[in-house]
Amino acid sequence: MDCTSCDTVPPRPDRPHTFIAHAPDTCPTCALPGEARVVLRDGKVVHLLRCTACGPQEREVHANAQTWMQEFLAKGVVPEGLTGDHLFKHTTSTCPQCLALVPAEVVIRKDRVFFLKDCTRCGPSEALVSEDASYYVKAYSFARAGTQPLIFRNTAEHGCPTDCGTCDDHEQHTCLPIVEVTDHCNLECPICIVDNNYSKHMEPATFQKIVDGLVEAEGVCETIALSGGEPTSHPQILELLKIASRPEIGRVVLITNGIRLGKDRDFAQALKDLGVYIGLQLDGFTAEVHTQIRGKDLVKEKAAALAMIDELDLPTQLIFVATRGVNDHQIGQVVELFLSKPQFLSLNFQPVAYTGHGGGTFVHDPMDRLTIPGVIRHIDAQTGGKVGYTDFFPLPCSHPQCVSLTYLLRLDDGTSVPFARFVDFEKHATLLRSSATLPATSEVEDALADVIHEVFARQDEIERGPEILKALRRCLDEMFPKQPLSAREQFRASERQSKSIFLHHYMDRHDFDLERLRKCCHHYPQIDGKIMPACGFNMFHRGAAKGPETPRAKFGRAPFSLPVIT
Amino acid sequence: MLCAGKVAFVTGGSRGLGRAICKTLAKEGAFVAFNYLKHDADAAATVAEIEASGGRASAHKVSVLDKAGLVELAKALDKQHGKIDILVNNAGYGQVVPLALMEESDWDEMLDTHVKGAFLATQAVLRVMVRERYGRIVNVGSLAGVKMMQAPVHYATAKAALKGFTESLAKEVGRYGITVNCVAPGILDEGVSDHLPPGRKEEYLRHCAARRVGTLTEAADMIAFIASERASYTNGATLVVDGAV
Repeated sequence: MDCTSCDTVPPRPDRPHTFIAHAPDTCPTCALPGEARVVLRDGKVVHLLRCTACGPQEREVHANAQTWMQEFLAKGVVPEGLTGDHLFKHTTSTCPQCLALVPAEVVIRKDRVFFLKDCTRCGPSEALVSEDASYYVKAYSFARAGTQPLIFRNTAEHGCPTDCGTCDDHEQHTCLPIVEVTDHCNLECPICIVDNNYSKHMEPATFQKIVDGLVEAEGVCETIALSGGEPTSHPQILELLKIASRPEIGRVVLITNGIRLGKDRDFAQALKDLGVYIGLQLDGFTAEVHTQIRGKDLVKEKAAALAMIDELDLPTQLIFVATRGVNDHQIGQVVELFLSKPQFLSLNFQPVAYTGHGGGTFVHDPMDRLTIPGVIRHIDAQTGGKVGYTDFFPLPCSHPQCVSLTYLLRLDDGTSVPFARFVDFEKHATLLRSSATLPATSEVEDALADVIHEVFARQDEIERGPEILKALRRCLDEMFPKQPLSAREQFRASERQSKSIFLHHYMDRHDFDLERLRKCCHHYPQIDGKIMPACGFNMFHRGAAKGPETPRAKFGRAPFSLPVIT
Repeated sequence: MLCAGKVAFVTGGSRGLGRAICKTLAKEGAFVAFNYLKHDADAAATVAEIEASGGRASAHKVSVLDKAGLVELAKALDKQHGKIDILVNNAGYGQVVPLALMEESDWDEMLDTHVKGAFLATQAVLRVMVRERYGRIVNVGSLAGVKMMQAPVHYATAKAALKGFTESLAKEVGRYGITVNCVAPGILDEGVSDHLPPGRKEEYLRHCAARRVGTLTEAADMIAFIASERASYTNGATLVVDGAV
């Protein structure tokens, strides 16, 4: 059945609380120190702890969640005249040397945010985590309750991050499953965040079990991504894509460097026929940039892939790994390219994470790196404000420090306008609540009705107001035409109405933040049935957090190393 | 006063029920703007009567089918007063003609004036009401649109359409503090009932508990109340003013 939201699928339940942050605390029973989840529940603030001696514990720490939140955000305001570090909060990070979990002070220094750590074995270290303290602090106000999968694959026993898989203490379901179907690759990227051993192509039967498991755990998946390695090097990649193309999965994305796509027309046509979406790595436009980031000049290969996408009208996400001093000057160029073609549905900036076979040893300065606000500033400056700093908002689906997002409405003349120019996202947080695309829920429909009326009422004050109204009308006509569409056709129609630019900052040993991992929603499903939050897997399981041969954590499970789920 | 400090826009305000609505709203404290199509002298007389009673009003020669003209008028009122609180979609007319003799043009003109006119006037004014998070929209229907009566089919159809227009719009914009109601008069002593065949009026009186036709003022009083802040929880309703038929 051609359906992505079948009524027979039970809806995923919301978490019973809104997870905000981690905070140090002690067990209410035995006073053993531990790290609490700070959650808002029934208008109150509660600390949830998993004491190693007493088990799950909780204590109410404030009777009024709203007041507490205001006080929490106020801690992020630096007192006037203070020139030194201002302590905002505490969390748990990792020692960049030995990778042990260590307490971290989150401090504001000259409008930027740093982690201050002191490993008992390796000594003190510091790391930049945000280039804009105001953005960082305010992001917490966007936190919303997550939803939980229908089935957790693990039970919380020892606490985060040792129980991954995901455990029942995890605060978000799997929004984006990324299945690494091979560890073969046709590039050796200096910024590679995985650790390819050229040992395994996933069997179709195994992939089938992973997909079945995902559907069992999630009911429906908006998207599934196939990654690697380079997934197009898998000899049965089309078979895997067919397996993933099922009614419960809305969108199948093939994440690729584009080399095969650009030169194998039959393959590209097969992707088109399967309705597959392309996730094309495109980190720049010059030989120098490609060589520094991907290890070789890929100008011709990327041009060929883009030409194929254009020719076959393949729906595409562009993925740009942004690196300080290497390709940050080409950020505006990729935005302009993205805005120029209707088949580019989204643009994903990833400030580089210094982890993995390549990334772990990539030359970098943890005190001077690109973070989400830095990339947004480049977007603003290099597009002349066409897409501006204030157009972006934290996405509450994941931890609000993980992803920032803007939607752009396609106007009838082919140009785009950021939603933030005509939508008050602080008022209509629902539109940011659950994912990087707008789901067709009654909540979203309600919010959109408000948006339409507000633009209607203020059309003379809003820049391009009448054009925005015309575009909104076109959206309705194309999404709800006189002849009814199948659910899949409607899905396709809706995604052509707007574009999104989102920034996802994966973590590394410098800026790792356990509370971000707690609400991670980008997961790597494994052959043993576990569903592993991405940054935790990169840090503790791959054995490559500092480059090849990094010792794996005691609780680590290497990819392809465990028995296949039965 | 029911409408003190309010700004009202009434369509078809120069004569008949429209004039009565304008006068009543003005008497209840509203500034009243109205449009009209043809009758300059009647429009001027309406304004003069209101002003003679100490009220404030303005007349505007714009068709209810002139979308751009209505938008400009709404913008001008908004600019002058900073708001438009009340819209009364009254513009309309009666025509006695059986279906067998009805021309396509009769049908179109009747439906356009009553229904499309209400749509265009509402769309022009609604943006101000949404912005202000307040509004009272009153559509002037008819008993002919609610009950089975001997009435011209196109007229009954148009008035019934206004009932649907009322209910649907009430749902759509209720979240902005805007109410949308329909007032459906029976036969009145002036206005569109003027030219009814005597037999129809007699039949109406036989079934009417009040044993008389209504007055323009009685209908206008109900409209003024529904247009006031006091009718804050009445929304999507069709209120019949017919002496119990």
